[in-house]
Amino acid sequence: MQPILKIDLTTGKNEEYKIPEQWEKDFLGGASLAARILYSSLTPELDALSPEAPLLFLMGPMTGTSGPTTGRFVICGKGPATGLWAESNIGGFWGPELRAAGYDGLWITGKAPEPVYLWLNGNSLELRKAAHLWGDNTYTTQDKVKEEVGEKGTRVCVIGVAGEKQVLFASIMCDHGRMAGRTGMGAVMGSKNLKAIAVHGENEIPIFDLKTYKNLRSESNRKLRDDNEAKIIREIGTGGVANYAEYLGSLPVQYYSKGSFEGIDAVSGSKMTESILVGRSACQGCVIACGRVVKLPTDKFKRKGPEHETMVGFGANLLNDNLESIVDMGDLCDRYGMDTISASNTIGLAFRLYDLGIITQKDTDGIELTWGNVDAIEQLVRKIGARDGIGDLLAQGSKRFGAHFNAEEEAVQVNGLEVAYHDPRGVSGMALSYATSPRGACHNQSDYFFVDFGHSQEKIGIEFLPRQAQAEKSQYVAKHQDWRTMFNAMVMCIFANVEPDEQTQLINAACGLNWTMEDLMKAGERAWNLKRAINNRMGLTRANDKLPKALLEPLKDGGSAGFELDLPGMLYSYYEARGWDLETGKPSREKLLELGLDDIAKDLWN
Amino acid sequence: MAAIFPSEEWLKELEIQINVDERYSEVAKNWEGDLFFSIEPEGNLKEKLTFYIDLWHGKCRKVTYQPKPEDYPASAFIMSATYNNITAVLTGKMNPMTAMMTSKLKVKGSMGYMMRNVPTVLDFVRVAQSVTKEIV
Repeated sequence: MQPILKIDLTTGKNEEYKIPEQWEKDFLGGASLAARILYSSLTPELDALSPEAPLLFLMGPMTGTSGPTTGRFVICGKGPATGLWAESNIGGFWGPELRAAGYDGLWITGKAPEPVYLWLNGNSLELRKAAHLWGDNTYTTQDKVKEEVGEKGTRVCVIGVAGEKQVLFASIMCDHGRMAGRTGMGAVMGSKNLKAIAVHGENEIPIFDLKTYKNLRSESNRKLRDDNEAKIIREIGTGGVANYAEYLGSLPVQYYSKGSFEGIDAVSGSKMTESILVGRSACQGCVIACGRVVKLPTDKFKRKGPEHETMVGFGANLLNDNLESIVDMGDLCDRYGMDTISASNTIGLAFRLYDLGIITQKDTDGIELTWGNVDAIEQLVRKIGARDGIGDLLAQGSKRFGAHFNAEEEAVQVNGLEVAYHDPRGVSGMALSYATSPRGACHNQSDYFFVDFGHSQEKIGIEFLPRQAQAEKSQYVAKHQDWRTMFNAMVMCIFANVEPDEQTQLINAACGLNWTMEDLMKAGERAWNLKRAINNRMGLTRANDKLPKALLEPLKDGGSAGFELDLPGMLYSYYEARGWDLETGKPSREKLLELGLDDIAKDLWN
Repeated sequence: MAAIFPSEEWLKELEIQINVDERYSEVAKNWEGDLFFSIEPEGNLKEKLTFYIDLWHGKCRKVTYQPKPEDYPASAFIMSATYNNITAVLTGKMNPMTAMMTSKLKVKGSMGYMMRNVPTVLDFVRVAQSVTKEIV
């Protein structure tokens, strides 16, 4: 891979960092390689929002190569809400542009004495003043920076006001509303007084065997265009699974307390397609185009439409069947620069606590938090973005918000990251996905709900089991996590139905490796264990592998009514499958040595 | 009554069962869409197999065995699969959602409509499985 540019914002100095060759072979790129690079920096004492905290933008070896959905990159560090390993995956065009500038990563440390933005044009780097941009939303900031640098084709990563104010779930945006949403990397960027990073490059992106790679990517993209899942996502967006999920009882309703939602037809991907969809958008080189472009009757201009998580988070989760308001809330979160999952989940908790009488209008700045109250939802979003009144508490995420009112157990989160919108009572594999993900309750480290919907992966030995099977599923979830870890290393979008043998061929052609499919899976397992070890070192124990109370109670209605998760049984089988120590939950010394992580074994077990 | 797949008798039996099945009638009461199946030869199937099923508001209005694609150019959905994959679905060896999500059963038509009506699709498969006595 190309070098990483290390930038210390405190001193303004920069230097090139050459990635150790062996690490590339062991971890490939993206989040896996980032974990290896940052391993020694991520200590228990490190304050995620301090100048010392690293923020690493890292590419994969296929980023920007027009391979199947490979326009992506990752942003990694320490999560300000979780205190754990943090990674957030993002598409758009910024990553490919950075690679064309000759770098495969930006490693930011320090804190600028005043707001700045970075302007990287080829190998020329400038730190520019950004006080005049402080307070601007994410779209306006991109426009202004592009105008200021004046170089056609420039791409800009930005934070919004939420990042400036260090909302703990602030995101980083690039291009047409593409978001690194989860784990609060926008807050880390804001803590460094870094408003934006503009990049422009004109170099060819290096590929080891271009001719072979071109043939492979053409074939993969051709198959992807014809793939049923890709067609669903292109036609009706990721929100297209909402009806099916509601039918199964895996769609969270009224803050995970119900299993069915009468208003689902009004707030589904199908409805959006029939009513307000005016276009689709794609990341660099992507043939799927999951992005929605919508225009409401009252809109002057087209704008980004919501994906599944935003639709459910601001829809069924809050008993809101007003599609237009969901579009508005997604847009508002994007402009403030904050994660729609954590924002809507934390708002859902506020509604629940209000419902239970734990909080009243005295606590909510006079806002009446009745389910489906669209005005109340909008007021809370604005208050979070501005950290105003109750918004200042909500901006700290559901765990801290609940704890403030002595009701932490009501928060539907794991280790400080809010649960996404796939209820494990309907798709049980998600129980382990949420409980064991290295970044908190994440659905992207293993979107096992797709397997539970029916998408088995025979080539890597993941069989289809009934959607509510329990401990017998654990070994498959572990495999799925290893495989998805490789998506985040390549970096490839998980919406791409690209088979593991195809991926192996693409990697070999791109990187000059001679991997087998087993090597691919082993590299995934290695990185999964490394991230676990990082978290163990930062204090995570077996006790952290848990689910919130709400998800362990059977639903009373819907397609999953009455089903009770056996999380201890699932976890026991999971640790066995992983080769993890049953007492501490740490990867065993033997497992770490088997994976070539000798130095990590020494740290963890000596 | 059940019949051997593939055969015209099987298709006619499917039409009858769809029209008498109360559960299907209820689940599929809003469904409007005809299906053209195109099955590629594989194993015991030596020549391409096609069949057409017109489903409307919980009932089957028409079936045709071995039609040409040009006979029904405006079919709402064209379903394509290999013989082994379609028979795996009909015998319950493969989950129908697995067949669709892994593109072993390819679908051409409105995916939005299909995803909004998954219960109808699954119940149609249930009825089709019930009339499948044996596979050639």
